[in-house]
Amino acid sequence: MSHDVIVIGAGMAGMAAGVRLAQAGLDVLVLASGQGGIPLAPGVIDVLGYAPQRVGNPIAEMGGFVDLHPDHPYAKVSLADLAAAVDWFKEVTAPLAYSGSLQANQLMPTALGALRPTALVPETMRAGNLAAGGDLLIVGFTGYRDFYPSLVAENLAAASLDGAGSIQARAVEVGIAGDPRALRPQLLARSLEVQAVRASLGRAIRAELAHERAVGVPAVLGLEHSHEVWSDLEDLVGLPVFEIPTLPPSQPGLRLMAVLTRALRRSGGRLQMGTTVAGATASNGRVEAVVVDQASRQMALEAGHFVLASGGIGTGGVAIPPGGQLRESIFGLPLAGAPPDGQPRYADHYFSPQPLDRVGLMVDAHLRPLGPGGAPAYSNLHAAGAALFGATPWREKSGDGISLATGFRAAAVILEGAG
Amino acid sequence: MTQFETEVLVIGGGSTGAGVAWDSALRGLHVTLVDRGDLATGTTGRFHGLLHSGGRYVVKDPSSARECARENLILRRVAADCIEDTGGLFLTTPLDDPAYADRFLQGCRDADIPAEEIPVAAALRQEPRLNPRISRAFTVPDASVDAWKTVWACVRGAAALGARVLPYHSVVRLVVEAGAVQGAVLRDHQTGAEVTIHAQCTVNASGAWSGHVAQLAGCEVGVVPGKGIMVAMNHRIVNTVVNRCTMPGDGDIIVPIRTVCVIGTTDVPVTDPDAIEATPAEVASMMEAGEALVPGFSQSRALRVWAGARPLLPKSSPGGDVKDTRDVTRSHSVLDHAERDGVGNFVTITGGKFTTFRLMAEDAVNLVGRKLGRELECRTATEPLPDSESQHYYWIGARQAEMEADAADDPLICECELVSRRDLQVAVARRPGAQLDDLRRALRVGMGPCQGGFCAFRVAALLHQDGHFDRTAANQSLRSFVEERWKGVKPISWGDQARQIRLDEWIFQGVLDLEHVPE
Repeated sequence: MSHDVIVIGAGMAGMAAGVRLAQAGLDVLVLASGQGGIPLAPGVIDVLGYAPQRVGNPIAEMGGFVDLHPDHPYAKVSLADLAAAVDWFKEVTAPLAYSGSLQANQLMPTALGALRPTALVPETMRAGNLAAGGDLLIVGFTGYRDFYPSLVAENLAAASLDGAGSIQARAVEVGIAGDPRALRPQLLARSLEVQAVRASLGRAIRAELAHERAVGVPAVLGLEHSHEVWSDLEDLVGLPVFEIPTLPPSQPGLRLMAVLTRALRRSGGRLQMGTTVAGATASNGRVEAVVVDQASRQMALEAGHFVLASGGIGTGGVAIPPGGQLRESIFGLPLAGAPPDGQPRYADHYFSPQPLDRVGLMVDAHLRPLGPGGAPAYSNLHAAGAALFGATPWREKSGDGISLATGFRAAAVILEGAG
Repeated sequence: MTQFETEVLVIGGGSTGAGVAWDSALRGLHVTLVDRGDLATGTTGRFHGLLHSGGRYVVKDPSSARECARENLILRRVAADCIEDTGGLFLTTPLDDPAYADRFLQGCRDADIPAEEIPVAAALRQEPRLNPRISRAFTVPDASVDAWKTVWACVRGAAALGARVLPYHSVVRLVVEAGAVQGAVLRDHQTGAEVTIHAQCTVNASGAWSGHVAQLAGCEVGVVPGKGIMVAMNHRIVNTVVNRCTMPGDGDIIVPIRTVCVIGTTDVPVTDPDAIEATPAEVASMMEAGEALVPGFSQSRALRVWAGARPLLPKSSPGGDVKDTRDVTRSHSVLDHAERDGVGNFVTITGGKFTTFRLMAEDAVNLVGRKLGRELECRTATEPLPDSESQHYYWIGARQAEMEADAADDPLICECELVSRRDLQVAVARRPGAQLDDLRRALRVGMGPCQGGFCAFRVAALLHQDGHFDRTAANQSLRSFVEERWKGVKPISWGDQARQIRLDEWIFQGVLDLEHVPE
């Protein structure tokens, strides 16, 4: 059994590459060792948030940023690629109605009440862009332990917008139908898909309103029917309503993964979860197959092209054995950014830059990972996303953009036949 | 400026100080206990969690072994709620001298420690992860003990009898007049105010810091801090305390405690008990040492590393050079400074082990009683601590049983350690000024496999919601929590622990953006 492309990893990079390739008519298999990383993330698309100062206009800052960081993954894709990837993403995820642009970051509230710059947000979060200030009611649900409206409201009200406006915010807690001990985010999200539950919530929120102009709630507005849940709640409340992402599992992340998975399958692609790639076979400078662990044996899966979107340390794409050398865990590709033996791997303070922050694969202009000699290790292997050297996504707030742009570009390179 | 009187001022809120407070209060003395930080954050909060049977010392330090054996029985009677009766095993591994085992058995007999040889096959059935090449096995009454529970039980008991307890109060100076310590001037860290305490007798129970405190009265106490590191593993690899049957060495004990197990330890003399850190080489040697008892140990997931400083008082002259702290006795010393240094009303109690804290306190309070002319009987060997009246040992399933019986409206805040919202509220009601780290010690939130990745945010935000923290205190407490936790996880950031760290970074920095909450 052979595929046109095997994509290793079902995070944003793997899914972007996989869907793009499948849409172009190729036979694509996406492998994920777990369920993919998208459900851990807030469900927005960060392009460039801090460089290291807060970024207002990612496209305007990108040139200077890449000059300062010539090995950053954004240096491997053009601005045109990035813009094309963003437009494509909005199309593919049309049911979730992402909005935003590369010219103006949105400032979105976090579940701590910090303001987080991001480029694209789904419709359920749109009214939460606080870049120009706002007058908000922040609503928590009694017994839901992943969201605390009073801290969110107080921190938001203390935020500085550099003169662009101010934020007023007030917190309330309302009861929501259901067993308080079972208020898990997914159960909450599903219960809000029941009209009666929404109606009761809408009434409770309405009763609390004073002069506010928008209402923030935890990100549990449905799982499969978020459009219906969100727009109905807005009607019931009579004001714009926006979700605030909180601890994983992220409902907006799960929705995004579901939409991308459907897009993959509709185009004839396959997603196989719970499949760990243990290694690969190669000859004549080409990867022949990846080897996966099955229940009682290993199996070789062949393809013409491979996309390595296996992530970094967090996903096990880069493995750290106790007291040993870091390794890229499938092909053993050379890693850039690992401190030499004997040098500390971690800085003393948590918020300092860490020696291991940027570790990953060096790639050529076609996103092919380099071998020990500096030339591409394999002619038919491309890499994308957090597997790449040079970014600190959670500090820069750049992870989704990098994954989207490099995944999209890797697909483009394969389609062009230039790889 | 605040000032007040007390009969006994106890400096140091670890197990020794808490024990002295409890013992003094039971004897009808008015006692004030102070500590520069939260209680049990010195050596007591950093030890192995082992209630010694005494087996470890039967050959090397027989008098310490006998003390441990007696105190083990007493604490099981009066502090049962703080103790999990895991039992212990001493095991001769291929790395150990087989001849030691007979000396061990004889030593246990001489010290009245009920050690019994069992077939190796029985030991392996009891603990399937043990090294199958073990040649001999002995059971002993080792157990694991919760230091914070014990200290807080002593302190609650003392407070119920009128004792005053002042955590977060540093001693600025001791008041020495007319050749005697008359009391102390303290600084309250939470308000910045000074507090003066007039005491009839002052007890220096500051453990590894006893030398520093004694200096404040012009007395010399040659305590040598002996650094020991511990590594907590992410689950109970063993459910019994397991020891190498050999002369005491590094990394030769694994203690199951609550939801984790802990391997330790090392023993290195240091000069500053506040400047102790585990080095990568020490961490590597602990992981390697575990292999002798449990093959595959070094591949298991480590959760956290920390270091503690033992208070060792060499029986040689104070200030003498100590090269190998393993050779210093583990027995304790009560120092009467009137005799040694001509400074009256001042006593230092130091050395010793957690297992013998009650006896240390008894000896200290006996001396205090003589000095005050109030010689009263010690009752701590028979009077149960608060919550230990039923004499039921702690068992690990207790939390689960409580949770299941609880009302439905009490959500779990920390899933790893089964801490509910109501538990948090009760803990805060008991300690109104509690910081996040104090609650970590009281409830064990953040001590399980996620090390606070999920629950730290919940706790900080809940405390803000309930009015215990204002906005900046909540933000700051969360930042301090992650900084503090970082010290303990970075030395063991490999394998799955490295992945957990990245997940936590995604949560704290990616999702919550803790770094950018407004000041």
